[in-house]
Amino acid sequence: MATVSLLGLTKKFTDAAAVDALDLEIADGEFVALLGPSGCGKTTTLRLIAGFLQPDSGEIRVGTQVVSSPFILVPPERRSMSMIFQSYAVWPHMTVFQNVAYGLKFKKLSRHEIDRKVVEVLRLVHLDGLKDRYPSELSGGQQQRVALARALVVEPQILLMDEPLSNLDANLREEMRFEIRRLHEEFGITTVYVTHDQAEAMATSDRVAVLNGGRMVQAGRPAEIFDHPRTRFVAEFVGKANILDGRMDGDSRLQLGEGLEIRVARNPDVSLSPGEASVCLRPHNILLTADKSEAQALSSRNYNLFAGVIQRRIYFGESADYTIDLAPYPFTLRVVGPPANLYDKGQRIFALALPEHCVVVSNQ
Amino acid sequence: MPAVGTDTLANARNRRWLGLRAYDPSLLVWLGAALFLVGLMVFPLGAIFSASLRDQAGLSLRNYVAVFTHDAFLAAIWNTVIISFWVGLLSIILGGLLAWLVTRTDLPWKKAIRALVMASFVTPPFLGAFAWTLLAGPNAGMLNQLYRTLTGSENALFNVFTMHGLIFVMALYSFPYAFSLVANVCDLISSDLEDAAIILGARKLRTAWTITLPLALPALVSGFIIAFLQALSLFGAPAILGLPAGIHTITTQIWTLFHYPPRLDLAAAFSIPLLLATMSLIALQKKILGRRGFSTVGGKGGQRRLVKLGWGRLPVLVLVLGVLALSVFLPYWILLKAAFSRAWAMPLEWSNFTLNNFNFALFQYSDTRAAIFNTFKLGILTATVGTLLATLIAYITNRNLFPGARYLTFFALAPLVIPGIVLAVGLFIVYAQPPIVLYGTIWILFVAYLTKEMPVGFSQAESTFKSIHTELEDASRIIGANRLTSLKDITAPLAKSGLIAAWCFIFIGVIRELSVSILLFAPTSKVVSVVIFDLKEEGQIGAIAVLGILMLAVSFFIVFGVRWMLDRDLVATRE
Repeated sequence: MATVSLLGLTKKFTDAAAVDALDLEIADGEFVALLGPSGCGKTTTLRLIAGFLQPDSGEIRVGTQVVSSPFILVPPERRSMSMIFQSYAVWPHMTVFQNVAYGLKFKKLSRHEIDRKVVEVLRLVHLDGLKDRYPSELSGGQQQRVALARALVVEPQILLMDEPLSNLDANLREEMRFEIRRLHEEFGITTVYVTHDQAEAMATSDRVAVLNGGRMVQAGRPAEIFDHPRTRFVAEFVGKANILDGRMDGDSRLQLGEGLEIRVARNPDVSLSPGEASVCLRPHNILLTADKSEAQALSSRNYNLFAGVIQRRIYFGESADYTIDLAPYPFTLRVVGPPANLYDKGQRIFALALPEHCVVVSNQ
Repeated sequence: MPAVGTDTLANARNRRWLGLRAYDPSLLVWLGAALFLVGLMVFPLGAIFSASLRDQAGLSLRNYVAVFTHDAFLAAIWNTVIISFWVGLLSIILGGLLAWLVTRTDLPWKKAIRALVMASFVTPPFLGAFAWTLLAGPNAGMLNQLYRTLTGSENALFNVFTMHGLIFVMALYSFPYAFSLVANVCDLISSDLEDAAIILGARKLRTAWTITLPLALPALVSGFIIAFLQALSLFGAPAILGLPAGIHTITTQIWTLFHYPPRLDLAAAFSIPLLLATMSLIALQKKILGRRGFSTVGGKGGQRRLVKLGWGRLPVLVLVLGVLALSVFLPYWILLKAAFSRAWAMPLEWSNFTLNNFNFALFQYSDTRAAIFNTFKLGILTATVGTLLATLIAYITNRNLFPGARYLTFFALAPLVIPGIVLAVGLFIVYAQPPIVLYGTIWILFVAYLTKEMPVGFSQAESTFKSIHTELEDASRIIGANRLTSLKDITAPLAKSGLIAAWCFIFIGVIRELSVSILLFAPTSKVVSVVIFDLKEEGQIGAIAVLGILMLAVSFFIVFGVRWMLDRDLVATRE
């Protein structure tokens, strides 16, 4: 059983904690993304799991065996793990075949067996026919596939990926996202994937763990993280968000200013300091209309109603991005609208949002 | 997790260390290398300090007082400062101009000029100085003979045995330092910056003066400091050119303090100011080069266009070749001539041709044969051990294998600020008396060379490891290789060329070394440079020329070998 448990995991670098009392359970066959801004401790966490670093306190277990603690450190080579690196780390002095076959050297396999496995895995990552090339003769995407093949061929229990796509160009990155997900579905290897790109995390993983300042802020399914962020940080880091600060008035009403009160969805898990509160409102969950009667109709069907003026419009082709000034209140709203019905700068406008899309977040 | 009580905290720390050792047996190798390095550096320096502060009665400052009140010592210090200043200034003028011409103008034959600058770099200054005694000695010097023949005058045009001569010759072999620093910078200044000035209406020369020069200023100042340092710590050239005229520098003065009866205490005290000077100059240079704000000079550099010299192209080329004639063509020619002729000052005629000098130096004269043998033995030995040690240390600092590992860099680079002669004083004090007596054997030279060449080997090894991403090693560990296997399979093959280069650089450094050897050799452990110095006293010009040519030939052979190897690597990775 290749479950991975991080229990109170802590690693300090010159006194500042890079990873601070991290708890995370990863189920067998699960794909978990560690998501966070640079310096949040995600790569350190991954290197701790790999055994390149020793924790200062806490421990890591694989199944029931403790593999890392301040007193125990099973070396990387005896952890049945594989890792894919940001720089690919494909060995430039070996051919594709030699790169991929290297890990099998340590498995006491016959030559024939090694050949068979390498050829098979190269086919799987669509590199058949390139086995005698040197890495310098391959494109970035192909090198990445070599790294994937090299990691998969040893049939690891656990696969670790450290920003594997960050050096690829945008198109290739999108393609490789699907590729990684496909391979995961095919092999079902327990995977920990480090990234700072929320779209990448959402597209590849079963579960996303958001890290900030060495601490875990929230973990959950991608949709859960996106739709129900618990903190302001998660809301802003994962996707675009309007954050409106106000004062709770009862359990489901938020006072934003004199005469501006909205109905909100309250998550009982989110702890709030008394009185103060913020809501996260995603730009694409806001409806726009210039028609006052339509706005009032929607408002009577439980929509929260904001009235404002279009301050700026950016046209993207697939959508249009508006900034709406809610004067006299000190707020602006960002709204993503359909491109079909464009509103102009300076136009009076009504913005409407359902209470369940106004998610109360803690102010951290 | 088993609960760890606070009472067992110390215990836990112990167990952690034990755990670490059990996990990585190679730790002993790393720690051993680190300790060896620290010892190598600390012993001689510590010995100098303690010797300088002692006399028969115990601790005292009497040595310092003696050194700083004696007229001869003060004169030596003053001479050294004057010489070093002018050498520094001449070096940046020559080096800076040549570097600008080679990198930023359409001067022809640039590759050849770079190669010739490289040649002056490879030429040991004492050999250059010796060649210049043949060229510009007041009586028999070739240039003076030529002058007399041409003008019928009885006088000498040049006399190299003067302050001017000494400064001139030392500058000829110090300017390559300034050249390479400035050329590196000029290679990186993009034409955009210069174009910006030209668009604003500045003319070519004005642009060079107001844009290029200030951008290159840190490199120039740094080049001045390096050349200054070089002049400060050279022994051979001042001994060959200065001593006959009674001009002493700090290094030659320290050398005479070793003559019978040796005054080690004074030598030690006299070494300290030299050491402090080099230390502070290096610190200053680091500060200048490390300053930000000149970041435009960093990075790739954009498009570069060359300044057109127009009608000045040819005269400038002649001028440049003239400078290189002084440092390379003329000295090499006179050495070749001396090696192949019966009487070096006589015209080149068939009757004057001989191979006897080779026969004498290589086969008949036992001293030179032994010295050649010793030199190669020490070269190979030092290069091998030095590369190994430098590799271990560079690996430790680069991969930060244990706490505090990065401080080893300091120790590995420390000899940069220790002039050879000062190092020799320290080593002599440490190893001429029990418990470890190395003086009188070649082993003291081995230790000295190992210490002196450590910065060269270390920097080369360090930059080699820097270019090998740690992830390459991690990638092999995680799929089953232990640390040593991964070193063998991944790191070693990738580092091979870089480390061979380190070996070669150390080897060249050793075979041309004089200022350490001159104090530490014993009759049975002479090396080529020392024999050259001795033969000069005996007037064996032909034999010296043969040894010098041999030394140069081996150096050039190795330099070109390394360039070829590294180029090939570069091409291979680019494909």
